[in-house]
Amino acid sequence: MFEDSEVLLEARHVTRRFPTSSGKELIACNDVNLKLYRGKTLGLVGESGCGKSTFMRFLVWLDKPTEGEIIYHGQDITKLKGKALHEMRQHIQMVFQDPSTSFNPKMKIRDIVCEPLLNYHRIRRSEKDRKARELLQMVDLPGDFADRYPHNMSGGQRQRVAIARALALEPEIIVMDEATSALDVSVQETIIQLITKLQREKNITIGFICHNLGFIQSFSHQIAVMYLGNIVEVMPGDQLSQVCCHPYSKALLNAVFDTKMDFSKKIEPIKGEPPSPLDVPAGCPFQDRCEHCKDRCRHEKPVLTEIGPGHEVACHLYGKGAEA
Amino acid sequence: MALLDIQNIDVSYGRHLTVKDCSIELEQGQICSVVGESGSGKTTVIRAVLGLLPGGGEVTRGDIVYDGKSLLKLSKREWRALRGHDISMIFQDSGAMMNQTRLIGGSFVEYIRTHEGISKQDAWKKGAEMLSRMRLPDPDRIMRSYPFQLSGGMRQRVGIAMGMTYQPKLLLADEPTSALDVTTQAQIVRQMMELRDEYGTSIIIVTHDIGVASYMADRVVVMKDGRIEDQGNRDHILNHSENEYTRRLIAAVPSLGGKRYV
Repeated sequence: MFEDSEVLLEARHVTRRFPTSSGKELIACNDVNLKLYRGKTLGLVGESGCGKSTFMRFLVWLDKPTEGEIIYHGQDITKLKGKALHEMRQHIQMVFQDPSTSFNPKMKIRDIVCEPLLNYHRIRRSEKDRKARELLQMVDLPGDFADRYPHNMSGGQRQRVAIARALALEPEIIVMDEATSALDVSVQETIIQLITKLQREKNITIGFICHNLGFIQSFSHQIAVMYLGNIVEVMPGDQLSQVCCHPYSKALLNAVFDTKMDFSKKIEPIKGEPPSPLDVPAGCPFQDRCEHCKDRCRHEKPVLTEIGPGHEVACHLYGKGAEA
Repeated sequence: MALLDIQNIDVSYGRHLTVKDCSIELEQGQICSVVGESGSGKTTVIRAVLGLLPGGGEVTRGDIVYDGKSLLKLSKREWRALRGHDISMIFQDSGAMMNQTRLIGGSFVEYIRTHEGISKQDAWKKGAEMLSRMRLPDPDRIMRSYPFQLSGGMRQRVGIAMGMTYQPKLLLADEPTSALDVTTQAQIVRQMMELRDEYGTSIIIVTHDIGVASYMADRVVVMKDGRIEDQGNRDHILNHSENEYTRRLIAAVPSLGGKRYV
């Protein structure tokens, strides 16, 4: 998809099943295939409970897929253990949604941002002060913040500290799980400017989870839409509104409110809510809410098919055997 | 005459002045959005309208006039008759505002019987009917559910249904869609717009989502640090405002096909 950029990480047929007390299986991720390109951002969108966080958590070993592999630098990272895993962790870091709950409230900012460096013996204790200032300045915070506690800062400032901590080890990949959802729009904007600036400087790959298509398209190179554990569409970020064609992606797009929309247009939200992931219907997962649903969708599950450059969609309306 | 007239109010929590010199006027059938960043005092303003300021908060100056009457001098009894009948409120998470250990039907019946002397059975029927009017599927099942058994979108619709039982003239909505997914948010926004069209309800919606605020509103009020920074009709605020803060706030809203950072 991006000729100038290599595939840094590839998820192949990743599936995650959770056992439940009722004996049924909950499939949080179903045969997910995604590629992360060096220096590019992959935006993953979908409603709550669609499995987007579950997938991203595999990348940072917070969970393991039941099946499938995740290839990074030629090895399957889901199989790593012990020392090898410890070494690998420093290359993939994470920023969480709510920075006030992802910091230890009793640690000073200096200790928070330097902890990863000390874990990997990159710096000596005596260098902490200098390094903390350097990291804080990188995220446009005054160096004096090193002496503060997380609760002495605003949400936006805390999120900057979270980014500084994730970047401390100079990772190749950063996973951001709704990293801006808890922030005000004006703060959101400055955080995104910071992230994209750092991405350009350090050529970092970003996996970003979000549920707002309008927001994520402003900084993603590649956007994947997920529904009930399935990737239903993957498309280039800069052409989102022109190329997006899966009925679900369109519905998400229609549900975006922004200040430049046509206010006289009546919004047509899709009906209902996603079915419980415990009983996903056979065939297309989106069938019950889709207005184009045909017989075929009821029993045959569409697979991701390439229909344009860097554009894949899983829908019977498009690709091979499509009924016009 | 305006339905609601907030006249130069100050709201303080103890010695701390949270809202300063705030005036908003709302006509029958109008929708007014109050936008601003966290901590700008937007929720405090609408809580003051319903007399629901949390501990220690009080209106220290100005007046709130609803339908020709001052709301600040009401007795407890008068408040009880007004709240939930003439003026209703929808909260960010309606489910969390209900008693978690009671059935939704139980809370609903209690609410109806506060305002109307009818039997429990009739109140239950009325509640279920209200739910189906708000297009909730299977109202009886919902009445027999606990709040935690419903999804966020459903709970919010139950909250709207409860709030609309007596077709209030004024509906106050405090971040009604912030906790919801975009698709559910669109459903709720549409439903609230329909309330205005069908019942002529005036709505004040407090939100930090400027997209939603501008879609719904006739008037937009921008708040900052407890003061009204700017207010006017939607077109003015979005396109012609001369206020620098407003312009910066509007420019920060991500827009489809708008500014890209990469």
